[in-house]
Amino acid sequence: MKKLIFLFAAVCAAGFFACRPERLATPSEPVKALSGSWQIIKATRNGTDITSRFDFSHFRINFSDSSYTIDSLVPFIVNRNGKWAFDDPTYPFNLNFTATDSTMKSSPLLYPVTNGQRNVIITFSPGCSLNSYQYTLQKAN
Amino acid sequence: MDIMKSPIFKKKYNLAWKIVGAMLLLIIVSCSMTIDSIVQPASVNGGDVLPVTLNVTIAVNKGQTSNFMVAVLVPKVWKAAQNTHITFTSDITAGPQPMTVIPAGTPAPQGGGLDWPTLLANKVGNGGNLLPDYEWVAFYSNAGYAVADNSTIHVTVSITTKTSPDNLLFKLGYCVANSTDGLSSSDRYGSYFSSCFQVNGTGDLIDFCNPQLSTIDPRTSFDNDIITVTFDGGVAPTALDNASQVYLCISGITTVGDSLSVCTQTDQTKMNPLGLNKWQKDIWPRKLFNLTDNQHLAGLRYYFTDAGGNNKVGYGGGSAPFSYTFKCQ
Repeated sequence: MKKLIFLFAAVCAAGFFACRPERLATPSEPVKALSGSWQIIKATRNGTDITSRFDFSHFRINFSDSSYTIDSLVPFIVNRNGKWAFDDPTYPFNLNFTATDSTMKSSPLLYPVTNGQRNVIITFSPGCSLNSYQYTLQKAN
Repeated sequence: MDIMKSPIFKKKYNLAWKIVGAMLLLIIVSCSMTIDSIVQPASVNGGDVLPVTLNVTIAVNKGQTSNFMVAVLVPKVWKAAQNTHITFTSDITAGPQPMTVIPAGTPAPQGGGLDWPTLLANKVGNGGNLLPDYEWVAFYSNAGYAVADNSTIHVTVSITTKTSPDNLLFKLGYCVANSTDGLSSSDRYGSYFSSCFQVNGTGDLIDFCNPQLSTIDPRTSFDNDIITVTFDGGVAPTALDNASQVYLCISGITTVGDSLSVCTQTDQTKMNPLGLNKWQKDIWPRKLFNLTDNQHLAGLRYYFTDAGGNNKVGYGGGSAPFSYTFKCQ
């Protein structure tokens, strides 16, 4: 009888410790990585493609952790180097630029993958607010 | 042999039924709209309110409940979405019926996902306006209206829109439709384009009606925009008719009255050929004139020259420069 009780207790103990609650990992949104040097691969003004009509080829924007620098400036949301930040690091809808000695300027942000390449699309008005420019940026090699 | 059972009779019988069926279908579902007449002044002064009346007939064979749609083609600079007021009266309503602008991006019915302004531009067109700075602005009636079978309704649409102070010539456009049929076929909507309408305003004439020797796009810009300068030598004979290369000779006039000139024949000023003696150059004025942070341009004065710089073409083909004013309204 003692053996049976011991066996029963052993089975119960094994069963008790065998069942652990499964911890489900919360799906996480991939971090939007901007670090690196980006070039303009497409530019539109008021919906018209002007990529081949204006020399954007030398423009580069170099993002580091929280700063950016610009080489070979073209009409852009900011004219000087400065700081950048997402409006929301996990689910960013806007990319904010704060050039040195200037107020923050914000651009709607799209972050699509096209032909296997990550693109960043920003929309802004560098001059007259009635004119809307959209630049598609891609990592420069 | 029974003639009604013959193959020839059956074939003709089937064809007749198909034709009758198709005609019945067309009759049952047709709802046509026409703009019968329009009352519009030939000109107004800049900044004045432009009053327009459209007389519209709607013929309905099959009853439906829809919102009424009215759209206007106007210069962008008028900001018609904010400055236009539309009401209508009709046989089936009492008193003026209000209408509200349809936000851009709202899909039009049976429009394949396109919004009203895009669909109107694709289907109805631009009335022959030559500069691209125009827009269709569409309005829906605030209410939907039930229309009985086989009815004909007369509608009077009243449009008032505040013009901008700009001096311009433009071919105004109008379109009427409903929220069920949209622009699904040409008989489901009515459209009308006016002849050249004039606003006697201030500043450089913005002429949408007549071909221009030179234009700058966009019409509204500041010196930190990219602007497109076009020379169309096909409009009229000029001293550059035989030029194999055309250059821009341009001066920027600063807000304090200084004149900065770029008038050497280099790649920086070389116009790009578009064919048929048409040339184009996209410039960024701040870079072209090497402006400092404190310098801003009020306007441009420019000519076109050949490679030697000897033959020079200005406004109207003459010796006075073309002019452009930077502004943003």
